[in-house]
Amino acid sequence: MYELRAVEKKFPGVHALKSVDFKIARGEIVGLVGENGAGKSTLMKVIYGAYQPDGGQILIDGKAVRFANPRQAMEKGIGMVFQEQSLIPNLTVMENIFLGYQEQFTRLGVIDWKAMAAAARKQLAKVKLDIDPRMVTSALSFAQRQLVELAKVLTLEERVEGDLVILLDEPTSVLNKEEVALLFKLVRELTSRASFIFVSHRMDEVMDLSDRIYVMKDGQVMDVLARGQAEAPEIQRKMVGRDIDREYYREQKQVPYDADKVLLELSGVGISGRIEDISLKLHAGEVLCLVGTEGSGREAILRTIFGMVQPAEGEVRIDGAVQPRLTPGSAVARGVGYVPRERKIEGIVSGMNVYENMTLSQLGRYSSWGVLAVGREKALARDWIAKLKIKAHSEYADCGNLSGGNQQKVVLAKWRSGGSRIVLLDHPTRGLDIGAKEDVYDMIREMSADGVGVVLVADTLEEAIGLSHTIVVLKDGAIQHVFDCRPGAKPSLFDLLHHMI
Amino acid sequence: MNLQQIRQYMPWIALVVLVALVGIANPGFLRPANLLGLAGDIVPLFIMALGLTFAIYIGGIDLSVQSMANMITVVASVYLASLGGWVAVLCVGAGFALGMLSGFVTTRLFVPSFISTLAVGGICFSIAQWLSGNRALNMDAEQRNAVFGWMIGRTGIIPNELFIAGALLAICLFIERRTTLGRAFKAVGAGELAARASGINVARYKILAFAISGALAAIAGLMFSVKLSGGAPTIANGFLLPAIVAVLVGGTPLTGGVGGVLNTMIGTLIVAVIRASMLYFGIEATQQQMLFGLVLIVAIATTIDRSKLRTVK
Repeated sequence: MYELRAVEKKFPGVHALKSVDFKIARGEIVGLVGENGAGKSTLMKVIYGAYQPDGGQILIDGKAVRFANPRQAMEKGIGMVFQEQSLIPNLTVMENIFLGYQEQFTRLGVIDWKAMAAAARKQLAKVKLDIDPRMVTSALSFAQRQLVELAKVLTLEERVEGDLVILLDEPTSVLNKEEVALLFKLVRELTSRASFIFVSHRMDEVMDLSDRIYVMKDGQVMDVLARGQAEAPEIQRKMVGRDIDREYYREQKQVPYDADKVLLELSGVGISGRIEDISLKLHAGEVLCLVGTEGSGREAILRTIFGMVQPAEGEVRIDGAVQPRLTPGSAVARGVGYVPRERKIEGIVSGMNVYENMTLSQLGRYSSWGVLAVGREKALARDWIAKLKIKAHSEYADCGNLSGGNQQKVVLAKWRSGGSRIVLLDHPTRGLDIGAKEDVYDMIREMSADGVGVVLVADTLEEAIGLSHTIVVLKDGAIQHVFDCRPGAKPSLFDLLHHMI
Repeated sequence: MNLQQIRQYMPWIALVVLVALVGIANPGFLRPANLLGLAGDIVPLFIMALGLTFAIYIGGIDLSVQSMANMITVVASVYLASLGGWVAVLCVGAGFALGMLSGFVTTRLFVPSFISTLAVGGICFSIAQWLSGNRALNMDAEQRNAVFGWMIGRTGIIPNELFIAGALLAICLFIERRTTLGRAFKAVGAGELAARASGINVARYKILAFAISGALAAIAGLMFSVKLSGGAPTIANGFLLPAIVAVLVGGTPLTGGVGGVLNTMIGTLIVAVIRASMLYFGIEATQQQMLFGLVLIVAIATTIDRSKLRTVK
């Protein structure tokens, strides 16, 4: 009854959806899987009206529709249960449920709270949640809030004619096993009222709940599988699919690291709720890759090493010396460099030019008595612009106006020129085109050859496997497995996925 | 030349246009002696705006500058007799320390700077009332002339205040353009998170920016009290709005990171011309703040970088 036909969506530089066909029948549960950047979230945004497709058609019961915004989509029965919960914590449950639709309970601008509470109770009964609708939302558990969110979407049932389609975006990511089981039972029962689109990283859950599974990759639907038609490994193969080119990741340039020289050591590092008992060693010339799903603790580890968060337990050693109170400043002083994921926000300072950005981490080296040696700064920038072939008209170019790849080169030059020996790379190739990615891979190999230790959080699993000497697989903040990744003896994607999910 | 580039020169254009307009209406306005006199009179405000520039440049604001200047007029008047020239050190030191307090509250206790500086301003005001017994105080004229007379005289036809303003501007400009301190301020204003991820101790530089703001507000207060030969807890009221206007009209937006002290000089001159023109056009002193309020709103609306703001409350 709901259908997408040949839907296209383009963003500057990215073809996010390529002729996507999608169908969902009344009372059906459809799973949607794919890697980061496969186009899942773009597709969902098109479905619930946050994005307008550039081509193709949206059909409801065979009639073409067009949504200018999510509210219009809701009026046609399409609701979204957000992963980042959209409830306002300081309002009551019933106010949240009817947020934006209070008119039905108002007379002369005054809200009839009793009527609203009664109506809210009816909605909560649909999701089998027995709480007082007058409670403040922040007092609820996470799982309860998720159900309230679902109840809120189910109010569409009374408001719109026709069928409901409800999107569930990663609804299980913070639920425990029992809560997940309850949610799934509820969703199955609710198929009498609505169809569901279920998006999750957890393959077992998608296979458990869905009647059909759409597998996406590079903005395309690779396959549609009916229940029981495929096993998890096969779906995963379709998700990541493409052949890995050894040349692409510069594997021929991978040389063994210096196992005698430990640059960085974490022992028993823990931050409550984020990571626990993390122990690992980084050697000179090693590329150590942290692999795991979103929220598995990769970023927390990087931020701990850079001194942006303080571990509650355990020790960080740099060159064998314990670092009890590491701050970003002292981490940089000890030779740590950090290339953050949010390049435009944390990587470069837009509004400052190339040389100002490059020396930002090493102002002490380019000044005496606090007075900058601007001439030397400019010389440094010209040097690295030439060395890395940075496309900037000169060292005076505003970094905010450079392309993503060139911005990333500036960030890398900042740490390379400062002589950092431990470089933390968080998604260094995110959003870069192929040429720029290969430049980044070359730089990683060069750093290794110079004896720099690299801790990498890669954009894709292939990238992780291709680039690293060692892979540490994380799940729920703990280390699951450590793989040795010598060329010729690299683990496969499925070896990694097996430990990730 | 696109709109973005023209915007950079807007303060200069505005200044020239304003001077021309007032000059055409009143040719006497353009006499060098008149212009120099106007410039000399605006110097305390300029010094205050100079300090405020640093607080705004890093993306904060310092609402304590006016109360700081008030307090310093009292401190200078009370302690000139006993300390002589050393009173200047006391004044600047007090300004620096109270500025640091604002910065400390902002960075360590995570209180937004508009509130922390408002609170510190309250403290300054109260100290001024307490020290002065809530009365207007006078300096001993002879001692004032002996110790600080050089501040307010004339060299040829040029008021000495202008030399002081020029020296302070040169120092601030040097700090802004040629020192690690200025570079760090710029990075904090333009991209605080990136500055932090480059290992810069953001909190330390923010505290320093507020301290500089406090110290310059103290110098402004000291000069004001020397000019008036006395002090009172409310004597500098009416400075805050024009000082903020001077910084913003000059082209340092509330979001920080661009502009700087040279812009503030232009902004202050614009304020001076507006003020002078009000005299020519017969606008009463009591109505001046109305106009500055309006100019402030226009200045903020046209200079603020909305891409840096997600919501406005």
